[in-house]
Amino acid sequence: MRTWYFSEMAYHPAWEKGLARGSLRVNFPSENVDPNEAGTLLNRYLDEFALCDDVGIDIMVNEHHSTATCMTVSVPMALAVIARETKKSRLLSLGNPIANRPDPVRVAEEMAWLDCLSGGRLEMGLVKGAPYEIAPANSNPARLMRRYWEAHDLILKALSTTTGPFNWEGEYYHYRNVNIWPRPIQQPTPPVWMTGMSVDTGTMAAERGHVVGTLLSGGTAKPMYDAYRKRARELGWEASPDRFAYAAIIGVGHTTDEGLRRADIIADYVRTAPVVAEPFTNPPGYNSIAANTMILKGGPRANRFVTDRNGEPINHRTASVQQFMDTETVFAGTPDEVYEQIKTFDTRMGGVGHLLFFGQGGLLDHKDAMENISLFGKEVAPRLLELHAPKRAAAE
Amino acid sequence: MSSSITVAGVTLEVEEAGKGRPLLFLHPGEGMQPHRPWIEALARDHRVIAPHHPGFGNSSLPDWIATVDDLAYLYLDLAKQLGLKNAVLAGACFGGWIAAEMAVRDTSRFAGLVLSAPLGIKVRGHLDRDIADMHSIPRAEFLRLSWADPANGAIDFATLPDTELAAIARSRESLALFGWKPYMHNPRLKRWLHRIDLPTQLIWGDSDGIVSTSYGEAWQAEIPGATMRIIPGAGHYPHWERTEEFATAVAAFTGKL
Repeated sequence: MRTWYFSEMAYHPAWEKGLARGSLRVNFPSENVDPNEAGTLLNRYLDEFALCDDVGIDIMVNEHHSTATCMTVSVPMALAVIARETKKSRLLSLGNPIANRPDPVRVAEEMAWLDCLSGGRLEMGLVKGAPYEIAPANSNPARLMRRYWEAHDLILKALSTTTGPFNWEGEYYHYRNVNIWPRPIQQPTPPVWMTGMSVDTGTMAAERGHVVGTLLSGGTAKPMYDAYRKRARELGWEASPDRFAYAAIIGVGHTTDEGLRRADIIADYVRTAPVVAEPFTNPPGYNSIAANTMILKGGPRANRFVTDRNGEPINHRTASVQQFMDTETVFAGTPDEVYEQIKTFDTRMGGVGHLLFFGQGGLLDHKDAMENISLFGKEVAPRLLELHAPKRAAAE
Repeated sequence: MSSSITVAGVTLEVEEAGKGRPLLFLHPGEGMQPHRPWIEALARDHRVIAPHHPGFGNSSLPDWIATVDDLAYLYLDLAKQLGLKNAVLAGACFGGWIAAEMAVRDTSRFAGLVLSAPLGIKVRGHLDRDIADMHSIPRAEFLRLSWADPANGAIDFATLPDTELAAIARSRESLALFGWKPYMHNPRLKRWLHRIDLPTQLIWGDSDGIVSTSYGEAWQAEIPGATMRIIPGAGHYPHWERTEEFATAVAAFTGKL
C-alpha cells in the first residue's frame, strides 16, 4: 500500500463565521478572507507538502471553489509548485473536475506540462466533483457524466496522440486542431484515477482499468471495490489492490492520546466542510433518480453517506473522533495502532493499494502537522508498502 | 385521460380532455405532478391536449433531445401529427418559453397564443436577474416566490408513492437539462418575438416572484398587439393557484378568435 499525503489547504480562520451563516461554500462572501493571511497559510501548507518528499511518501492535491474549506482553486497550479520542491514523491492530481471545465484540451496541456516538469511523476485524476462545485462553475448538473466521459476521452486522446493535429466534433466539445505541446513523459498517458462512491463508478472504472478512490466514506467503499473486481473478472483480468484507493484522516503520535488529539483536530475539517446552504447540496441531475427519490421521501439529509460498520449514519457535525474511527473515516493512535487499524481495514476491503492520508484539516498547527507527516512517513508508510507489493504496471 | 403518442421518435405521455377548439397546453417547469385541476377547467371550452415534456411524467427523453429548440420542433411535429387547425397554443412558465420558440418558427396551425408568466427572454443587464434563481434558494423560499399563498403549492412528498417521486426527480433533472445555462432563457429569443403573427394573450399573477409583471411588459412590447391580463391573488402559476380566473381569462380570449 502506497501513502499519498493530502491537505485541502483550508482557510480555517473563517470557519466560525461560515458555520454561523450555515454555509462555508458558494454563498459565503469572500470579504471573510484576509488575503494576506491566506498567503501565509498557503506557504505553510506547501511546506507541509514538501516534507513528504523527505520522508518518502507521495502527494495528492485536490481542488474546490468558492469555499473556506479549501483554498486550492487549481490542482495544476499547486502541483507545479510542489513539483519544483520535491524530487521523488509521485504527484497525484485528484483531481480535475472535468465535467465542470469548459476546455478539456487545456486540462490535457496542463497535465502533460506537469508530467514533463516533474520527470514523469504525475498521476492524473479525472473526477466528477462534489455537488456544491456545480454552482461555482455554473456547470449543468443534468447529463454531467455524459459530459464527463466525452471530456475524459478527449483528454486521453490529446495526451496520447503524437501525430496530430486531430479533429474533435463531439456533443459538448469542438476542436479542429488538437495537438498539445509538450506531450507527457508517461505514454500513452499518466496513470488515470477516478473517484466515487457507487457501484456504477466501480464498474465504469474497471472497464477502463483506472484506479478508483473513495474519500472518507467508510463502509460504502467496499461495494464499489467489489463491483470493480467483478467487472474486471468479467472482462478477463484480475484487479489487484493497486486499482483501489481510500482516503482517511490520520493522526499519529508517540502516544495513543497524541495520535487521537491530532486526528481530532484534523477531523474538525469533516465536522465543518459539509456545511453548505441546502440548495447547493443536490443540484438536479447530479444524483441518480433513485437517490433523489429517497431524498424527496426523507428530506435533504437522507442521502448522508458516512455510515458506521452497521450501516447507521453518523452526524458529521458532532461526531467524536471515536465515532469517526468506527466509520473508518479516521485512523488514529501510535504508529503500531494505526498500522493495525489500516491493516484490518485493508483486509476487510479485500486489498486497497493506495492510502490517501488526510493529515491536515486546517486547524492542526504547523509543528503537529510536520510531526504527523514525518512519524507516519517513517513508522507506518514503510510497513504499509510491504502490505501487498504494489504493481505499477497498467491494468490492461 | 392520458395516452401515449410517438412523435419524431419521442414517446410522449399526453393528457387530453374536453371538446371544441384544440388547445395545446405546455406545462411549467414544475411539471404536471401530482394535481392538474386546470386541465378540467380549460376543457369546459376546449379540447385540451397537454403533453408531458420529454423527461417529465412518463414521456421519454432520448439522448439527442437536449434543448428548448428540440422541444419547439417536437411540438410543432405533434401539432402536425394531430392535424391541429386554428388551435390555441398555450404555455405556462417554462412551457411559455417553449410556446414562444414554436411561435417564432411556425404559427400556421394556430389561431391564438396564450403565455402565462413565460420564462425564456433576457431583458435587463448582466448583473440583473430577470428570472429568479430557483435553484439557489431553499424550497420554502421558492414556494414563497412562486405562490401568492405558499401553502397552496406545498406538496407533502412523504405521502406520494415512489413512482410519483421518481417522476418528480426525473422532471427536475430534465428542467435542468433544458434551462440551466443560460438560465431559463434563450439570449436570442427576444429579438425574434416580432415574428409572432398571432393574437397573443399574456397572463400574469400579481404576486409572481419568479418573473415580475415588468418582465411581462417586456414581452408585451416585443409581440405585436399582445394584451396583458393580471390575475390578482396569483403567483407564478395562475393556472394552478387561481384556476377559475385563469380559465375564464383564457376562454374570454379564445372566444374572440
